[in-house]
Amino acid sequence: MSLFIRNYKPNSLATVYNVKIWRLHSTAAESTQKKDENEEEFRVLDILKKKDRIQRKVTRRADIQPDRSDRMAPDQNWGNVWPGPKTFHPSSVPLPLRQGYVPKGQAPPGKKANAELMKVPNFLHLTPPVIKSQCEAIKQYCTEWPNLLNSQEAIEKHYPVEIITSDYCHASPSIRNPLARIVTLRVKLSTLKLDKHARDKFIRLVGDRYDSSTDLVTITADRCPARIQNTDYVNYLLTACFHEAWNVEEWEKDKTEDDMEYYDWNNNASKKSLVNWHLQKKGESKTLTDDEYKSFDVSEIQHADGYKNAVSDWMNSGESEETVKKYAEAVRKLFGLPEKKVV
Amino acid sequence: MLSRNWRHLCRRYSQAVNFRTTENSPAQHNDKQEGLFYTINPDLCKQLFAHGGFPRSFMKQTKTFTETAIMVRQPALDLLACIKASDMSQPVIRYVLYGEKGTGKSITLAHLLHYAHEEGFLIVHVPWVSEWLRRVPRHKEMSNSQTHEGFVDLPLDAAAWLIHFKSQNQTLLKSGELKTSKQYVWSKRETTEAGSPLAALVEHGISRVKYACDVVDALIDEIKILSNAKQCKTFVAIDGFNSFFYPLTRLNTPTKRKVKPEEVTLTTSFMKITTNDWNNGAVVVTADQLAFPDDHQESYLPRYLLYKKGFEHLDPFVPIEVGRYSDKEFISCVNYYRDRLWLRGPPEIEAELKFTSASNPYRFMEQCAPL
Repeated sequence: MSLFIRNYKPNSLATVYNVKIWRLHSTAAESTQKKDENEEEFRVLDILKKKDRIQRKVTRRADIQPDRSDRMAPDQNWGNVWPGPKTFHPSSVPLPLRQGYVPKGQAPPGKKANAELMKVPNFLHLTPPVIKSQCEAIKQYCTEWPNLLNSQEAIEKHYPVEIITSDYCHASPSIRNPLARIVTLRVKLSTLKLDKHARDKFIRLVGDRYDSSTDLVTITADRCPARIQNTDYVNYLLTACFHEAWNVEEWEKDKTEDDMEYYDWNNNASKKSLVNWHLQKKGESKTLTDDEYKSFDVSEIQHADGYKNAVSDWMNSGESEETVKKYAEAVRKLFGLPEKKVV
Repeated sequence: MLSRNWRHLCRRYSQAVNFRTTENSPAQHNDKQEGLFYTINPDLCKQLFAHGGFPRSFMKQTKTFTETAIMVRQPALDLLACIKASDMSQPVIRYVLYGEKGTGKSITLAHLLHYAHEEGFLIVHVPWVSEWLRRVPRHKEMSNSQTHEGFVDLPLDAAAWLIHFKSQNQTLLKSGELKTSKQYVWSKRETTEAGSPLAALVEHGISRVKYACDVVDALIDEIKILSNAKQCKTFVAIDGFNSFFYPLTRLNTPTKRKVKPEEVTLTTSFMKITTNDWNNGAVVVTADQLAFPDDHQESYLPRYLLYKKGFEHLDPFVPIEVGRYSDKEFISCVNYYRDRLWLRGPPEIEAELKFTSASNPYRFMEQCAPL
């Protein structure tokens, strides 16, 4: 029955089909209809029903204009078309853009009704000519760059203190961003003109804010709500540390060799043992006081300088195979032993 | 049977040229023998190392191989050259052997001990310091020192060391030329007269264990005096020396107080002999990671292992690194292991073993064991 409904069409052909269906179901009628069949034309088996498929006419609405992007002049001023940041719009951009998931064997989706293109932020408002013209426009408000500050060194020399802040610009209901209050002050320690003691104390005061590899002190403040307050605070901190570093307190005289920030060979046991060794070698057995040890002139001992440097290097720059090797060489020279054979 | 022996002989002969040297006297070793094995006479081996001196795994290996063969390696040759070149009339030079675990510091030390024995040095050898300070059997004999206030004696360990000392220096002690310089009074009835032979002093320490630590102390003093007087030359070898500087030992006094290494009388004695205020000798110590518990084994370099205190005690010293096998040494060792049937299989496994063991002597030996 379904076959019948599908093929039902109100024309002559249907009757033929009808007859045929009836015929299928009755074997008796077959012989009576045989004659009619011979008269009919030769029918082609049309499974795909190509003949019946009606060509649907694509109607085009006459009142729709062609796409705006197709009508744009190539020499138009792009800055006027796309003056500010906005979401991608296919009709305004005369570029054959494609973006999105690529099905196998096909091209990526085109720009129209393409959510992928609308999702990503674009910089179509920041083309080089637009930037150029905007720079030209704000140039009248700028002052000239000082001639003498022509290099990075000169800038660092005249303006050693560097204040780093960040500005944030966004289109939320509030234009304030809490991160804008954070102020970082950076200064090279060598520009502060400190003596040996003050420098050591300053480094201890600022703690991990000092980076010895770059010689930079970095002080960051974010405790106050406004930027100006934080700026004042970092300046205060720098000033306070600087002046405190120059103070010498009573208890600082108690500093022992363990508190030293670096290894001074002259004050250490290493020198003592070298001097003892030297005296023994000469056959003198006398005990020196600590001050005599410190002031003992080691230049009379052969190869003592190399030894001194090797020990200091070992202690100051940390233990490594390199420093141990250097020490071994120095000690062998000191004792007059043969060099280690390099294999 | 004959043909088998013949084959055995042939094989040995064909390979003997590669990895073995017939030069069995360490004093004659030079760069020509580098990387080759030499064998120590079993009797001598028993005399020198019967009471320790080789690591346990190496001892086991010598038993398996039925010989004590030591490879002549660069650090030992270097040290020999230094000892030969040094002026004996000057303060003793301290040498520190250091290196990763299992690279052969103790074996190098054993090689040098053999040299010292041959050259007629008086040997002061401590096989493994941690044996005294860190190994605590159930009944560790400990007592408070009678002579040193606040110190702890380890009489049994001291006596064991005296036996070791006695066996290592049999010939020198037997000759009786070494005599004490002053009188030692141990108790009302026991004294050691001035001018009595050193062997008597040692004998006293062994028989009267109570005084063993004091005897060791006296012995060290006497050795320094004798060396200074040029009556003997002394070779000091201490394995695991850094153990003396670890902040705490594993010993407890009867009152459950933790003992520091510097509170042990043996420590003070061996500190005395490692200072450079005497001459006519040589001091070789090793800094070994294994002498420390696991939490202080991050680096194998001497300053880390000796701590500040130990560094200042030894400074200036000559650091000598004992490294992994070089290519030449590795091939020689492979041949030796093949000869001893310790390593079998196709030649391709050698490259693989070299890679997996990273040319570390101990690890190479371990990895060959199941092959």
